[in-house]
Amino acid sequence: MRVTQGCFSFLPDLTDEQITAQVQYCLDKGWAVNIEFTDDPHPRNTYWEMWGLPMFDLRDAAGIMKELNDCRRTYGDRYIRLSGFDATHGWESLRISFIVNRPKDEPGFRLQRQEVDGRSMRYTTVSYAVDRPEGSRYE
Amino acid sequence: MSDAAAKPPVAAETPVSAIDLRKEFDAVDIAPVLEQLDRELIGLKPVKTRIREIASLLLVERIRQKMQLATTFPTLHMSFTGNPGTGKTTVAMRMAGILHKLGFVRRGHVISVTRDDLVGQYIGHTAPKTKEILKKAMGGVLFIDEAYYLYRPENERDYGQESIEILLQIMESQREDLVVILAGYGDRMEKFFQSNPGFRSRIAHHIDFPDYNDDELLFIAEQMLRDQNYSFSAQAREAFVRYIAARRQQPLFSNARSIRNALDRIRLRQANRLVSNLDQVVTSQDLMSIEPQDVLASRVFSGAPDGTRAPTGKP
Amino acid sequence: MNEQSMTVRGKDRYKSGVMEYKKMGYWEPDYVPKDTDVIALFRVTPQDGVDPIEACAAVAGESSTATWTVVWTDRLTAAEKYRAKCYRVDPVPNSPGSYFAYIAYDLDLFEPGSIANLTASIIGNVFGFKPLKALRLEDMRLPVAYVKTFQGPATGIVVERERLDKFGRPLLGATVKPKLGLSGRNYGRVVYEALKGGLDFCKDDENINSQPFMHWRDRFLYCMEAVNRAQAGTGEIKGTYLNVTAATMEDMYERAEFAAELGSVIIMIDLVIGYTAIQSMAKWARKNNMILHLHRAGHSTYTRQRLHGVSFRVIAKWMRLAGVDHIHAGTVVGKLEGDPATTRGYYDICRQDFNKTTLEHGVFFDQHWASLNQMMPVASGGIHAGQMHQLLDHLGEDVVLQFGGGTIGHPKGIQAGATANRVALEAMILARNEGRDYVHEGPEILAKAAQTCTPLREALEIWKDITFNYESTDSPDFVPTATPAM
Repeated sequence: MRVTQGCFSFLPDLTDEQITAQVQYCLDKGWAVNIEFTDDPHPRNTYWEMWGLPMFDLRDAAGIMKELNDCRRTYGDRYIRLSGFDATHGWESLRISFIVNRPKDEPGFRLQRQEVDGRSMRYTTVSYAVDRPEGSRYE
Repeated sequence: MSDAAAKPPVAAETPVSAIDLRKEFDAVDIAPVLEQLDRELIGLKPVKTRIREIASLLLVERIRQKMQLATTFPTLHMSFTGNPGTGKTTVAMRMAGILHKLGFVRRGHVISVTRDDLVGQYIGHTAPKTKEILKKAMGGVLFIDEAYYLYRPENERDYGQESIEILLQIMESQREDLVVILAGYGDRMEKFFQSNPGFRSRIAHHIDFPDYNDDELLFIAEQMLRDQNYSFSAQAREAFVRYIAARRQQPLFSNARSIRNALDRIRLRQANRLVSNLDQVVTSQDLMSIEPQDVLASRVFSGAPDGTRAPTGKP
Repeated sequence: MNEQSMTVRGKDRYKSGVMEYKKMGYWEPDYVPKDTDVIALFRVTPQDGVDPIEACAAVAGESSTATWTVVWTDRLTAAEKYRAKCYRVDPVPNSPGSYFAYIAYDLDLFEPGSIANLTASIIGNVFGFKPLKALRLEDMRLPVAYVKTFQGPATGIVVERERLDKFGRPLLGATVKPKLGLSGRNYGRVVYEALKGGLDFCKDDENINSQPFMHWRDRFLYCMEAVNRAQAGTGEIKGTYLNVTAATMEDMYERAEFAAELGSVIIMIDLVIGYTAIQSMAKWARKNNMILHLHRAGHSTYTRQRLHGVSFRVIAKWMRLAGVDHIHAGTVVGKLEGDPATTRGYYDICRQDFNKTTLEHGVFFDQHWASLNQMMPVASGGIHAGQMHQLLDHLGEDVVLQFGGGTIGHPKGIQAGATANRVALEAMILARNEGRDYVHEGPEILAKAAQTCTPLREALEIWKDITFNYESTDSPDFVPTATPAM
């Protein structure tokens, strides 16, 4: 399966050139760019690990691409995403977020159903990957 | 992005065989930057000549790339040597503008730093600091003032060395992403390069900034005053000529910056002189005019150093 | 035409009998509205022979304190404060016989935080007033002091995006078709296919409630099975607007609570349930972390005609106060009414914290929203993947694009339809962010994306000639070049 979180998951994986253009778009808007990675892509796993602090006050995408490549060297077997943060009053949240690195194999999720009163159902989504301990899930 | 043999900035699909030089010169629109430099900086003939030479070289380089005669990205790092107040920072700003217009840096901004911005206080502090600055400078020019302070041979565990190594690596591997300008006193820079040959080999252009002569400093002073709607009276002007000669002999002399500081103090004295007599009607001429006593009250004339600013302090 | 005040003052004012509205103090051309006044702008079309000033004063009177004759009991009140004051009347450009009347209402005329109370005054009796041929409420200026008495959207655009973990692109939805007749089991199939194929949301239609062919619990259960299956299949948060519209508040709460119990992120109501019911559901939604989707069912009965009724921009303002998160606000290019400039005005009202007066978009007042949450506009009705560049250009990024037919009608099935829409959208956002002139290069960008996406290729082919170009019935009175009569 292919996790379709983020802004560009339905397109072929972005090239570095395409990622650079998106990063530059964020910088030109004055947003801080953040790099995060995880080996638990559960749709409600909000807090991926941060690769350093969000990068404020940069002018050019090259600095971020260097960090991304450093991150890939260490965590290239996991999901990595980039996001652009807008601190403008009234928004103060992400303006864009997209995946830039995926594990070779994406095992996906198991849907667990628990039958409760009447025909009601309790649903739980579990990533197959988390059956293994953190850090060795996509080895 | 980090490939050393990076693509030239204007790589064409198919090489062109002939280019109209004037059209190309007009297209990159660097003439206004060069003119601005001429206007802004008094004197500095040799510096201006060097800048024009470099601009010409880069313009030709750009055309050679279009014709696919040049295939790698040129090294553009520079060193600016000279005493304080000789215009190095200003020239760096204009240089960034020229590089930007010619397509050799993408954004054209200047990040100006000193050792304190790059080197940390404890283990593990330096690399993130240096990298943070480098990220901010990407796409533009990193101007390192008094670069030799990065290297402190007397302390072999000095964290400066770590910063130097990161700088050297980025200067080589990401030279299409930023241009580094190292600046400082000529003699100290020379020693620095001797101990750090890695830097010397990565510097493509050295520019030496000579001291201003007395006439140029007077001209600068009058221009600064004019910009603020002041002027010397004839006698004050004569006194200031003597001031320049005396000031130059004293320690911590820093060319145009010393002049600016002197004028700041002269304006203070002028104001004080006016206010000390409240029973008068002042005209705009009174408010604009610098009189000899405003100049002559300076301690420079009694042989004491005027002011306490360090030579590296920014105006 | 803003001549002097004709107000009768002193003891003559309260002499028994009938007096013209303009003499009773409802026409005050020198009045300067206070920052705390509610201001309404009406388009007044008097009957033949009726003095326009008198007609406009009558609107002020009938929407505030007046009755047809002088009453002495006025003197027991601070009547001058409570009288609505028409302070400006302008002829409508290019529309002989109609006038714009600006009327200011003191804040004390209204109960805090109640749309029902506001509307009972402003659009109460006055719309049936005989001396008028027609009357339309064009716009309102809601003072910050009044805005602050409302909850506002239960969730807001920012928190909705955070909850859904979707940033940087419009959201995609589809209304399940056919509107009526599907059983719960069949209905859930459509939801699953559309969400699995790449949409973020599915949607009940406005008249899907609890009918013999599908009762509401059945629909909710099958829909949530579909949502959870699609979520596990994609790793992405999915939702379906479960319509909880019902006959009574008790029924609506019961349905909403069941939706919450099943883990739905969003529920839906119809405009026809009424302002009070909407405000109740907004409070419920805030309390239950639920996104509240509003279908504007019924609005065209009073919003569409230029001469009579209430402009949709006013409805949008009321709904932002009332507290819904999503509101259908037009597509410009789709099958339903919506002139581009007017629609732009609606979208600004939904999404900005401050609306600047923009006559060419039909926005007559500066409006501060005082940090009230933003509403997500929804574009639905006759849109398809081939229009993606126009949709993005007209509607921006913070919008739900609902492709019902444009998803379900795909020749290769619903998943293929959903994928086509998602790919088209992502390709367009990518191109826009890269700085391309996506509006003009739109067809090329789509064609390029279709090279690696067969469903998109098929969608572009089948709907390539579909457009809905009809004259709009509600376009702005002011064109950008004209100087407004002020």
